[in-house]
Amino acid sequence: MYSGTAKPPVMRSAAWRITLWATLAFAFGAMIVFIFLHQFVAGDIQRRTDAWLAGEAGVLGDVAARTPKGVLYRRIVGEVAELASREVPHKQGANAGLNDSVFFLQTAADGSMGLWVGAGDAGAHLRAIRKSKIMPDTPSDLGVNGFDTPFRVVSVRMANGSHIYLGLSERDEQRVLRNLRLRFILLWLLIVLIGSAIVFYTTLRMLRHIRKITEAASRIGEEDLSTRVPTTSRNDEIAHLALTLNRMLDRIESTIHQMHTITGALAHDIRSPLTAVRAKLEMSLTAAVRDEESESIVSAIEDMDRLTDFLNKSLDVAEARANALRLNRTAIDLNELLRAMIDLYEPSMSEKGLRVKLNTAGSLKVSADAALLHRMIANLFDNELKHLPVSCTIAISLRAVDDAALLVVEDDGPGFDPEISTHIFERRVKGRNSNGHGLGLAFVDAVVRAHGGTVEASNRPSGGALLAITLPLAENVDSVLSPAMALVSE
Amino acid sequence: MRLLLVEDELEIQTFLQRSLTEAGYQVEAAGDGKTAERLAIESQHDALIVDLGLPDQDGITLILKLRQLGLSTPVLILSARRSVDDRVRGLEQGGDDYLTKPFALAELLARLRNLVKRSSSSTTDGNRLRVLDLELDLLRREASRNGEILNLTPQEFVLLEYLCRNAGRVVTRSMILDQVWGMRIQPDTNVVDVHIYRLRGKVDTAGDRPLIRTLRGVGYVLRDR
Repeated sequence: MYSGTAKPPVMRSAAWRITLWATLAFAFGAMIVFIFLHQFVAGDIQRRTDAWLAGEAGVLGDVAARTPKGVLYRRIVGEVAELASREVPHKQGANAGLNDSVFFLQTAADGSMGLWVGAGDAGAHLRAIRKSKIMPDTPSDLGVNGFDTPFRVVSVRMANGSHIYLGLSERDEQRVLRNLRLRFILLWLLIVLIGSAIVFYTTLRMLRHIRKITEAASRIGEEDLSTRVPTTSRNDEIAHLALTLNRMLDRIESTIHQMHTITGALAHDIRSPLTAVRAKLEMSLTAAVRDEESESIVSAIEDMDRLTDFLNKSLDVAEARANALRLNRTAIDLNELLRAMIDLYEPSMSEKGLRVKLNTAGSLKVSADAALLHRMIANLFDNELKHLPVSCTIAISLRAVDDAALLVVEDDGPGFDPEISTHIFERRVKGRNSNGHGLGLAFVDAVVRAHGGTVEASNRPSGGALLAITLPLAENVDSVLSPAMALVSE
Repeated sequence: MRLLLVEDELEIQTFLQRSLTEAGYQVEAAGDGKTAERLAIESQHDALIVDLGLPDQDGITLILKLRQLGLSTPVLILSARRSVDDRVRGLEQGGDDYLTKPFALAELLARLRNLVKRSSSSTTDGNRLRVLDLELDLLRREASRNGEILNLTPQEFVLLEYLCRNAGRVVTRSMILDQVWGMRIQPDTNVVDVHIYRLRGKVDTAGDRPLIRTLRGVGYVLRDR
């Protein structure tokens, strides 16, 4: 249902692709920057934690070593440890009073529980400490049963062989990092979205300008050469493209204009004397008394008419080659035209012993210049009539192929001379036995091309010539104004 | 018959004036658009012959101006251009005609006669067209000569009808192509002659006085006397 051409232009725009890649690159780059930042922040927090732990553990170790073992020992060391734990911000409101993010634990030399300052059960901490080998003076992570986050623990070995452990929960550190990550991801998403929207909008605008240039350029030449592609006041690549295109169109227009001037002047300057000469010849024809006299005058007139025909076709071919033919397009039924043409040529063909077969699939309308198309088809028939030997058959078929009308004219005659078959559409190329001026097929080719069609000439494998002509079908017959309508609407 | 000839090339103007006078017309000639406009308004003409390439204005502009002034005289347009533009075609549909240069004098005369519609000697009686002993039934698409039905193809009937409607006037090959087949082409081959030849074989059978006459280098005429 959705073919490529049915989608609106914005869906097919290259802006999507450009935006996608730009967004991907930006998102990836931002992510890498964040990972570095995260690593740095996490490392810095840990370094600060470790420094604090080491300092506090040193103080505690000092206090523990100096306090004599007795009744007061537990109280003094316990209070110092509690003071230390108060330095840590305490966010757990549920367990008010005791801060569960810090613990102090002293083990005896045999590893049994000595002193415990902290929230909750000391047993879990002790078991975890016993399980992991904590090196003295080196901070390390300790996972404790019943706590989601591990503790950062530093241990000090006392002179009497006992150990002091000071632990700080990594909960705060992780919360800070989690907040950082969350905020970053939100910001990152926002920036990526806004960034891609901006990229998309700007590329779309830029590309829309290019599309306008393309549309304008495709219109130029089909109808008139005087319009130009839109330009901008900016001095960027697109403006340069538009300017270059316009300069190119200026040159083309002036060339075509020159061509029209030359062919127009040629036509006028040659036609007027030709008209005068022809008139003089005709006058003398009426005055001629003897048959021989009139004979030579008639032959001179015929020569003149051939010259005129040659002039007309040469100019047509030249103009069509330069894409300068003025076409007055109307909708023409090729099927009807072929039938009329066959009707016209059939008697002459059968006089010569030629047969014509027509095979069509019915009405096929093309948008073409009627006069040129008539002359082009007449040329094809003239060509066959002049060059085919007796008792040949000409098979003409017409059918629609995709968006074009395909007209195939084939015969079972001698075919194209292999020597010239590669230059068959060039001017003045003709077979050895041809007596025309060799413009016939060049004219056919020129007219078909001027209408946006193609001509292919070949020899059939079974012998004989084959000409395949395609002409674009009239897309919308209603939109093609008849000349009379055009006159009225002017 | 009064004609106004508008042609700036003096040589062609002189020749046309002389041959048109010889053909029995009264000819006034103008070399530019202004003079032509004045002459056309001052006196009545039966037809205008206008060259498109005038020194002071476009021939089409002149014709359209005259039409706006209420002049309905038929115009024969002479053009040195090969491709006939839309405006000429529009005029052609309004009953005017055009010829491209160079043209045969006979062609010009034939088209001119066709244009001024000098009454043909064929007589029409409802759906019947009569020229001497030739009779065409336009409804049944049947032709008969001396009461004998002629065995014509539909196309031959159209051709004969065209000749009959112009009985006594010369019709050229290009006029036949234009009017009978609706094509403005100049075949390199004698396609029209073969059609006439065949038609003649059916119309002018032995014993009868031949009706279709060939004028060498000019065209054909259906005898009406």
